[in-house]
Amino acid sequence: MNTTPISPTGRRQFLAGAGAIGAAALMSGCVASSSSDGGSTSQSSGGSVALQSNLSSPQAKTAMEDLVAAYNKRGGAKAKLNTVASETFRTQLPTYLTSANPPDLLTWYPGSVADAYAKKGLLLDVSEIWAKGELAGYSDAQKKLCSDSSGAKVFVPATYYWWGVFYKKSNFAKWGVQEPKTWDDFISLCKTLKSKGVAPIGLGAGGDTPWVASAWFDYLNIRVNGAQYHRDLLAGRHSFDDPQVHKVFDKWAEVLPYFDPNGTALAFQDATTAMLSNRTGMMLIGTFFADAAPKDQLDDIDFFQFPIIDPSVPVAEEGPTDGYFASAHTAHKDQVLDLMSYLATAEAQEIYLKGSSGTALPTNPKAKDSGTPLVKKGRALIESAADVTQFFNRDSSDALQPTADTALTKFLAKPKEINSILTAWQRDAQKIWSQ
Amino acid sequence: MAVLTAAGRRAAEGAGRGGRTTRGGGKRATRVPPVVLAFVLLPLLAEGFFVFWPALQGFYLSLTKWDGISAPQFIGLGNYREMIHDTVFHTAMLDTVLWLALFGGLSALLGLGAALLLQQERRGVGFYRAALFLPVVFSLTATALVWQAMYQPDGLINKTMSGLGLGSLTHPWLADQDTALYAVIVPALWRQVGYVMVLYLAGLKGIDPALYEAAKVDGATRWQQFRHITLPQLRSVNAVVLSVIIIDSLRSFDVVWALTRGGPYHSSELLSTYMYSAAFQSLRLGYGSALAVVIFVLAFGVIASYLIRAFKEAD
Repeated sequence: MNTTPISPTGRRQFLAGAGAIGAAALMSGCVASSSSDGGSTSQSSGGSVALQSNLSSPQAKTAMEDLVAAYNKRGGAKAKLNTVASETFRTQLPTYLTSANPPDLLTWYPGSVADAYAKKGLLLDVSEIWAKGELAGYSDAQKKLCSDSSGAKVFVPATYYWWGVFYKKSNFAKWGVQEPKTWDDFISLCKTLKSKGVAPIGLGAGGDTPWVASAWFDYLNIRVNGAQYHRDLLAGRHSFDDPQVHKVFDKWAEVLPYFDPNGTALAFQDATTAMLSNRTGMMLIGTFFADAAPKDQLDDIDFFQFPIIDPSVPVAEEGPTDGYFASAHTAHKDQVLDLMSYLATAEAQEIYLKGSSGTALPTNPKAKDSGTPLVKKGRALIESAADVTQFFNRDSSDALQPTADTALTKFLAKPKEINSILTAWQRDAQKIWSQ
Repeated sequence: MAVLTAAGRRAAEGAGRGGRTTRGGGKRATRVPPVVLAFVLLPLLAEGFFVFWPALQGFYLSLTKWDGISAPQFIGLGNYREMIHDTVFHTAMLDTVLWLALFGGLSALLGLGAALLLQQERRGVGFYRAALFLPVVFSLTATALVWQAMYQPDGLINKTMSGLGLGSLTHPWLADQDTALYAVIVPALWRQVGYVMVLYLAGLKGIDPALYEAAKVDGATRWQQFRHITLPQLRSVNAVVLSVIIIDSLRSFDVVWALTRGGPYHSSELLSTYMYSAAFQSLRLGYGSALAVVIFVLAFGVIASYLIRAFKEAD
């Protein structure tokens, strides 16, 4: 094919457009088509800032609407919310950012994922708003997390949540067991539960949530090899068939007999139901699972920290942060910066938490959380951690996640084939890294 | 073709009329009226822009490495070379062939069987035809969600089996690599049979009843009637059914994606789902395009070779 006559920029724009059309056509046909206009990259009309949000679960969506309404009531710049189904948003994000008329502000994740887009010059440098106002009072960890690899701030965080091993207090009391602290305690707890006829560990890596299994990989890796090794591994600086990674799966194999046999058949929502109806004993999950739990059961739910395996490894926890980044090509830079500073205020974060399910934590150190004992315990867990990781896809890229899903579901079904699984994982990951 | 001949005829008529009224209008007669030209060129332009151009772009993309963000990087046949060693591609290819054989073969057989059973006008036959055709009306994605609930570990299928004393056979159908692909074929088949049945019913209606009467006079058995009248008479319908089945098999995506997403660990991966996940999940749009080209070549190759043979026989 002759490729010379078209100028590179012209072709790029065309391809982006063609990709958008093709993707939109595919999406509308197959992936649970949402009611919201997923394909459109709504550029704001007039002076208002277009905020494209992936928070499409009912409670979170209402909370976002409240938040934007509160901002618009202040006078000055105006914002317009456009909520897109989260799965559509995820696949369309590159298209949003590269389109000629990008949305001004988008919900997404900080860290390595944001840095990948920043490296391609797609994100707005928002360092100036970090120097003043409430953002100046954010923790150093947050400041580091929201910077790209060149040191510029490209992200404004809003909330974070934590992962833990969740269980029902009434069940643990009934079975006469305690929260374990160490790996050995954890294994003996599993043994006890199994002897009582319960599947000790629920998983929820079936259906369309296979990524939940990555939490086990993340936690075992940061407990065995430490958070820095974990991040380096995900960035391609180590190989998935390293002996260190084998050690992670050796540990996992020790508790594999205690996993619910339906772990890879049930989505995390169904796995939550299985735990609440006493079919499984506990599960490693993020607080978002509470959205799928009946309200009256929430008071009976508690969690413990993922057990310590090697006391010499500094304790890290998974505390994924959610927030906003802006398109570098926005036509309303000043308004966008104003909105981003507002979203970082304690006032804005409290409005959001009040409207949502309330299990998330605000990133603003002055903002109040929902104050339940569970949330207090979660906040203490993250604040006491020596290091905080985000989650598999956030510490690497969304493109690397499917390679983990394949490797981990295969390990859960065929743990004996670990050597070939890890070789294949490294090969698949290499294709993504070399992209 | 139809447009072209119609246009040609109209132009010829115009020429005839012109010849009667004015002298020396021969030159004008060869000129195609602008309206006709517009009727031909505009659809061609639209088709070219919306079909051929993107198809060519897709082919070009298959020769590049592209993440959807930066400029595509030309790598020649690199993507196709990668395919040769890609075990997932091999699985997807094998599964697609298996899908074509099972989904295509069974839907043709069952569709023909249903059509034969329901061709005679009896009381209530309309109800059965409608019942078999009904799944075609539903969106396959919605259908798949219902089937997904039935396949759940504590879903309808496992509960029924335990109830019948077959508890040892219960299974996480979609999560087991040995059963996932077959579990996905069933809902797809459930829908396709009705569609193929309608095609065959139309074909059966077109057979001249006199042929059967003549056969009966000659003392032909039912099997002989089927073998020597029904099947040969259905040849043209078979061509349609075959094309439909091959195209539907190769583009089967929604039901697989909704039920298993090609998993667990690629065991129910088809070329179409692999193309989607390579392009839009791994953001390897170049490789995804190369897979799309392979699907296109397969579909086009199979259908073109069949059509050429069919036309030759017709001559």
